[in-house]
Parts: sequence; C-alpha cells; structure tokens
Amino acid sequence: MENVDLSIVIGGPQGGGIDTASSMISKAFTYSGYQVISVREFHSNIKGRHSYIHLRVKNSPVRSVRYPVDILVALDPDTIFEHHEDISKGTRILYDADFETSELSQARMIMRDTSRRIKEMLESTGHTLNVKGVLEYMKSKGAVPIPVSFGNVVSEAVSDGTPTRYFNTFGAAATLAVLGIDKNYVEKVIRSVFGNKEKVIGPNIKVVDAAYDYCSKNKLRIKNLPDLEMGKKMLLTGNDGSAIGKVIGGLRFQTYYPITPASDESTILEEHEELKWMEGENTNLITGGVTVVQAEDEISAINMASGAAMTGTRSATATSGPGFSLMAEAISFAGMDEIPLVVTLYQRGGPSTGLPTRNGQSDLLFALHTGHGEFPRIVISSGDVKECIEDSVRALNYAQRYQLPVIHLIDKNLANTTELVDIPDASSLKVQEPDKSDGKDSFSRFTLDTKNGISPIGFFGRDIFWLTGDEHDEKGHVTEDTWMRDRQMEKRFLKIETCEKEVPMSERAVVIGPSSADVTFMTWGSQKGLVLDVIDALGKKGIKANLLYLKMFEPFPSEFVSEVLKKAKKVIGVESNMTAQACKVIKMNTGIGIENLILKYNGRHVTEDEVMDASLRIIEKKEKVVVLKNGA
Amino acid sequence: MAHNFRTDVAIDWCPGCGDFGILTALTQAFTELNLDPKNLAMVSGIGCSGKTPHYINAAGMHTLHGRGIPFATGLKLANPNLKVVLTGGDGDLLSIGAGHFVAEGRRNTGITVVLFDNQVYGLTKGQAAPTMALGMQTKSLTRPNVFGQVNPVALALASGYTFVARGFSFDTKQLKEIVKRSIMHDGSSLIDVLQPCPTYNNINTMEVYRQKVYKLEDDKSWNPTVNESNVDHYEDIYQRAFVKALEMDKRIPTGVFYENNTIPSFPRRLNEHVKDYLSSPPALQAVQKNGKSLVDPANSFADKILQ
Repeated sequence: MENVDLSIVIGGPQGGGIDTASSMISKAFTYSGYQVISVREFHSNIKGRHSYIHLRVKNSPVRSVRYPVDILVALDPDTIFEHHEDISKGTRILYDADFETSELSQARMIMRDTSRRIKEMLESTGHTLNVKGVLEYMKSKGAVPIPVSFGNVVSEAVSDGTPTRYFNTFGAAATLAVLGIDKNYVEKVIRSVFGNKEKVIGPNIKVVDAAYDYCSKNKLRIKNLPDLEMGKKMLLTGNDGSAIGKVIGGLRFQTYYPITPASDESTILEEHEELKWMEGENTNLITGGVTVVQAEDEISAINMASGAAMTGTRSATATSGPGFSLMAEAISFAGMDEIPLVVTLYQRGGPSTGLPTRNGQSDLLFALHTGHGEFPRIVISSGDVKECIEDSVRALNYAQRYQLPVIHLIDKNLANTTELVDIPDASSLKVQEPDKSDGKDSFSRFTLDTKNGISPIGFFGRDIFWLTGDEHDEKGHVTEDTWMRDRQMEKRFLKIETCEKEVPMSERAVVIGPSSADVTFMTWGSQKGLVLDVIDALGKKGIKANLLYLKMFEPFPSEFVSEVLKKAKKVIGVESNMTAQACKVIKMNTGIGIENLILKYNGRHVTEDEVMDASLRIIEKKEKVVVLKNGA
Repeated sequence: MAHNFRTDVAIDWCPGCGDFGILTALTQAFTELNLDPKNLAMVSGIGCSGKTPHYINAAGMHTLHGRGIPFATGLKLANPNLKVVLTGGDGDLLSIGAGHFVAEGRRNTGITVVLFDNQVYGLTKGQAAPTMALGMQTKSLTRPNVFGQVNPVALALASGYTFVARGFSFDTKQLKEIVKRSIMHDGSSLIDVLQPCPTYNNINTMEVYRQKVYKLEDDKSWNPTVNESNVDHYEDIYQRAFVKALEMDKRIPTGVFYENNTIPSFPRRLNEHVKDYLSSPPALQAVQKNGKSLVDPANSFADKILQ
C-alpha cells in the first residue's frame, strides 16, 4: 500500500466546538485503522479568539506534525486569514461560502499585529483586504478553495433553528468525506463523542449524512483511504498520560491550583477518582480512590502534598511556571526533610504570565535550581504520551526510593497533543516501596547509620519523629551542631550517588539511531518524535544522523553524554526556548558546548518541515543558529 | 499508663513567656483525652510557637513560615484518623499565612488551630504583628504601629471555622478544657490564645490581661453550640458570637464563642464523592503487590479505550 501522510488544520472560534471536531476526525481515522496525532493551539480566552487543531494521519507510526497542510477546514473567517501561509499546491480549503465577504478590518478577534501583517501581505500582493482576497492569494499558490454554504446544507438536514451549533460536526464530516473515510465510522464516532445523549446524536448523524451527500454530489473526494486493521488503543493527551501513570504508580493524593496547562491533569484524576482492581483469584473488584484537592494557591498545594506524603501516601501536585515559582520554598523544605514528593511541571511560554496557553521549554534551569540552599532532587522530562505514563510511575518510584522532591517536566505541546497509544500494561511497570521504619519506639528518622544515604522513612500515624526546616539531628530535632550539620548534608547528597548507581541509563539518556553519524541531534521533551522524523528524512537525502535524547537532568548523566558528544561530528541542539537551556546544562556538566542551535520561542508547536529546513541550513549552508517561526 | 507527652528537648522560650502555659494546657489535654501519641500530629510554622512540636512527644512537623495549615490539611486529608493540632503565631497565621487561615475555614478539615497571640514577632526582635492595635508602640518599635488590627475570632467566624474560642495562657485550666473540646469537635477549630511576650510586649502584660479577661461560660445562659436540635436558632447563635468577638477593648471575653456541629467536615464532604474515603483513606490504601501496581488502567480508564 502507498504511504498515507496527510496534514490537516481545522480552525474556528474558541468555544466553537473545535475540540469536538478534532476528536471526531481523530477517532474516525483511528476506527479506520490509521495512526493519528493532533496538536491543539488556543488563546488565553473563553470564547471567540482563533483556536485550531493541527493533525497528521499516517498508515505508519506518526510522531510529528508538518506544514503545509493538505486540508484547511475553516469554521470562521479568522482561520483563513491566520493560516494563509500554511498551504501549498493542491491544499483543499473547506470553508463557509458566507465568509467570502468578511473584511479583515471586521475580524476583531485577530491580534492587532497579526492583522497588520496580513494587511501588509495582501496590499503588497495586490489583493483585497477580505477573505476573498486571501483566498485569491492562496489560489495563486496552488490551493483549491471549496466554498460550501454551511448554513444552507445544515439547515436542510436539521431544522432546530440554530444551524451554527452543527458547523463543527459538518466541518469534521466534510473533511472525512473528502478523504474517503467510510461514513459508518463517522456515525460510530458521533455516538462515541456524544455518549448516550440521543437528542444530540440524531441531528448530528443527519448532519454527517448531509456532509457526505454534499461532497459526493459535488465530487469533492480527493482520496479513497482504505480500511486498515485496528487494534485496541487509547487516544490520550500528555495530561491523560501523566494522570494514568500516576495512578498506576500508586498516587492516592493530588493537589492543585487552577493553571493552564496543568489543571487538566487534576481534572482527569478527579473524573477517574474511583479506582478498581482485581485481587488474586478474587474476581470481585476492589475499589479505592485518588483524593484530589483544589488548594487555595500553589504554596498550599505543594505543602498539602508534602503533609500527605508523610502519612505514607504517594502524593503529587501539578502546576505550571507561575505556580512553580510560588512553590520554591516548599521544594527546599521537601529536600531538607527528605519528603517523597512529585511535582509535575507543565512548561508554558514565560517569563511571567508570558504565553499562558502556548508551548515553551524555558523552565529547565529553574527546575534544576528551584529553592534556596543545597539539597538533592531529581529532574526528569518526557517526550511523548507513552513516556508521560512511564515517567509518572518512575517519578513516584524515585520519590519513594530516594525520599526527595522529583520534578517531572512536560511541555505544553505534549500536554495538549493527542496520540494513539497502546493500553499501558501495568504489570510491566514496577511500583517500588520505600525503606520503612521498623516501627520501634527508638526510631530515628534521619539516622546516619546508612551506607547509601537512605534512612528508613517513618510515617505520621505509625511512628514518632520530627520534621523541621531547620538543620536537624537524627531524631529530627533542631540542631546547629557543626558535626551533625556536616553529616546530615553528606547523608542527603549520598542519595544522589546511590540514584546514579541504581537508575539504568535507559531512563536517563539514550542515543537513538546509528552509533556513529555525520550529524548528532540533541533534544528533549516533545521535539523527540519530530527530530526522529527529520533524521529519517535526512537519511533519504544521504545524510546519516542520530539523536542524543535527554530524559534525566538531575542527577545528570555526564559521562554518558560526554562520551556521545566527544564522538559526534556535528551536533545540533533543538529546543523550544531562547537560551538553549539543555545545551547549557550539558556544558555545565561536561564542559562541552553545542554551537549549532535550532530554537523556537514564539510559543507555537515545532513542525517537522521547519526543523528539516533549519537542519539543512546548518548542515549545508553552515549557519549556526536558526530561530523557527512557524505557527498561527 | 497515661502518656505525659513531654520530650527531653530543652525549652528555649524566654522566662515568663506565655508559651509555657499553652504547652502545659496542650499536654494536659492530650493526657486527659488519653490520646495515642502515634495518632497525634503536631504541626507548626515558624517563630517561637513553631518550636512547640519539638517539646511534645508525638509526631511533629515544624514547617515553613505561614504554611502550617496546608501541611496539617494534607496530613488530615491523607489520614483522617489522625488528630492534628497546629500551633502558630499571630504573624504566622494572620500575616504570611492569612490566605491559608481563611481557606481552612472554608474547608473545615478538622484540625485544631492554636493561635499564639502576643501581638509581636518575638523571634525577629519584636516587630508589630497583625493583632497589634493601630498606634500602639511597644518598646522595640521605632514608631507607633501604623497598621490596623485583625480580629482573629471574628475572622475565624467569618471564614467558616465551626469551633471558635479564646483562651488566656495564664488560665491553663480553662485553656485545657477548650483544647479538649476542640480536639473532639469534628471540624476545624480556632483557639485564639492571649499571651504576653515578656521580652517585647511591655504594654499587654500578664497583669493587663488578667484585669481585662472574663469568661463567657460564667454567664449561665451562654450557649454557643449549634446542634441538629437547635439548628433553627443557628443565626441567633452565630450573630451573638460575632457581637462577643467584637468586644476587645476594656474587657475581653474568653471561652467558646461558637461551636457548630451541623456543618460536615471536609473528610465527610470528600466521602460523598471519593468511594470508601473514610473507611479506606489514602494513607491506608495498598498500592502494589509484589512490586506490581494494583490498578488496571484498562479498567480505571476504560473510557479512553477505542476499539
């Protein structure tokens, strides 16, 4: 079978059902046996501003998105204005014919500077300042506009007086019809998306029928995608993956304060607070629950989680940059008092409120240095949904094993990207218990009598001991004794050496691809899959490349990274920040600098085409630093 | 044998400090209630009050400035069987930790908050705390206090604490009884404890307080308690508590201002939503067997499966 590789953008006003439309498209492709990934972009806004989903569909594993798109579905005029550069020859632009007369000056939800740039482009190319003008511009690049009177077609199908509420279903169904996806799957999707709300399902299925009839009558089909074998899968975001991993890893207490893009994880946990499992031969389901608490602020959230952790409960909190800034003092306390605590840090565009709903990888150095004083911590990062699941389990294990704060980095792009993944096999993921007190009255929480720095932990409700933010003796009482101070500092840091000995390199840093190559990429977080796609594409051009992929930043795998980089011929760092923070960490730990950089800090997701283009500029044209600009 | 709840850690409060009376009332209350020291959690923030857990033989958590309430809440919600008692200062609870103080009223988690109210920041050399009156100038202040005064009893009532009381650190007998009632109360308690700081507060001394305080319970008609039986009179009782709370100048009432047993505690509220929360709270749940997770994601997250 020929390779299927389709790129789609569906855009519309925030609050206009874009998520539902995207979900319909993703699920329909999944039912047809295709692999799909979708990235969500939106403003910090409830209703009205431009929101879109960027999807890619393949008949093989899909791990990145790309421009130009093959189909642009516009549920509002803004989508056509915003995405005028994301098309190429043959791109189908599916839109409501009524949009054509919309003037750019009336598109008030487009950011002022964006509007100005569109105006300048239209003026300089001699087009009118409205949707018609933009469509003419896109036609000049070879795109094919498909005007459909959404209102008329939908009104004929359903007569409840508000056709606009079905525009998202219509847009999704028309897209699937144009690509030749079997209509039966789309109907199955409608049932899956709307659950058992029969009143909603009926009219939506009529709208699907209308979309298919319309596309058939007007011969709009451009593909005829055959059915493929479909396994049992889960369609998950990074937020979902982290929540599922935490529950597998034994999380029973999660706190949070509302913040984008972290709070979705806590909502998902709350939706699934009732847990079920089988015990041995007993086929009755045992139930338990995750307690999710919305705190009054992030300071409270993290300290509540620390308090809960000291009862023996696996506890975590999830936040993003501004909230994490507030948690700094508490991280230091958890380090000092050896509290098993997980903080899932969803990175978004900073500084300050920054780009609250956009992507960024600018909190790495902060995560490594949060909190005053010197204390051990573990900092890890995930690059795709499967890793989010596994790393959440590991984060809880590390916290229990080494009794310290574990910071788990997930970038916004990954948090809001939907991937098709295998159902996680919980039996393949180890859940580790901590070394615990013997329950005797003579218990010393911070005993120095340890070879690996790990003093058996005690729990409130079970043992008597003390915790204090002050330096403390073995019992946990305040001390300023110089000898005890030195011993406790050394004991705490010995745990990091133990961690380095025990954690396998596969959980810290890996080389993917050939062991020797002309070009070695270095990246972390959500660019992983994308860089691997670029490496494949370079291979087709005869350029042999591999990837140094970083997962654990503290303790940093210095020797391994150093060996890889010493052997590398040309190294290119790819990061979603301005100051190449992972490269800095490498330099700090190995002394090796990386001078070729592909960076992006406009907050939008990185796409395969722009990294490919940037890589060629570095490899062939000897450019040093390329800043990526894609994204509406 | 009853436990005396004292450790051998040397107490380093100043001679004559009101903290000693609070420590005595607390440990006597624990002994008289015959609490299991392993089931008692002492939590504190920073300052002289923050040292209290080290002097008490029960699991203790001496935390961050102002953050005692979040730690205490986490302990209690992860294991609602614990009796959680928090000792905090007026700066700790009403300045840096004021947000948590109010939020705790909304939660009504079921912790006892003991407010060491001496109107100054003692450990940092006597700066004005939120309970000090406007214009007051203690000996360590370079100028009269330019801040107004927070009323802890009224703030607790307004925030939703379901047990609100005031004690005096030199009346350990009354304070001990208040502590005992608060520990047995299923909801969060605020006990405002008037105490002198002999080193930095030369205005509100033990003698001054002795002349001003009077006991609410000396009025035989005083009934601060709302139960199912008199819940119709809830508004009257709540309003009377406020009126008494505002009496702070010439005479200062001590005793229980308000006790409402009809408002469910946070653990009871959670139990409505998290299955078996009270019988199988987070701290007591198994999470693994032979190193394998007990949770099957295909079951717990079945809604995410496509087939």
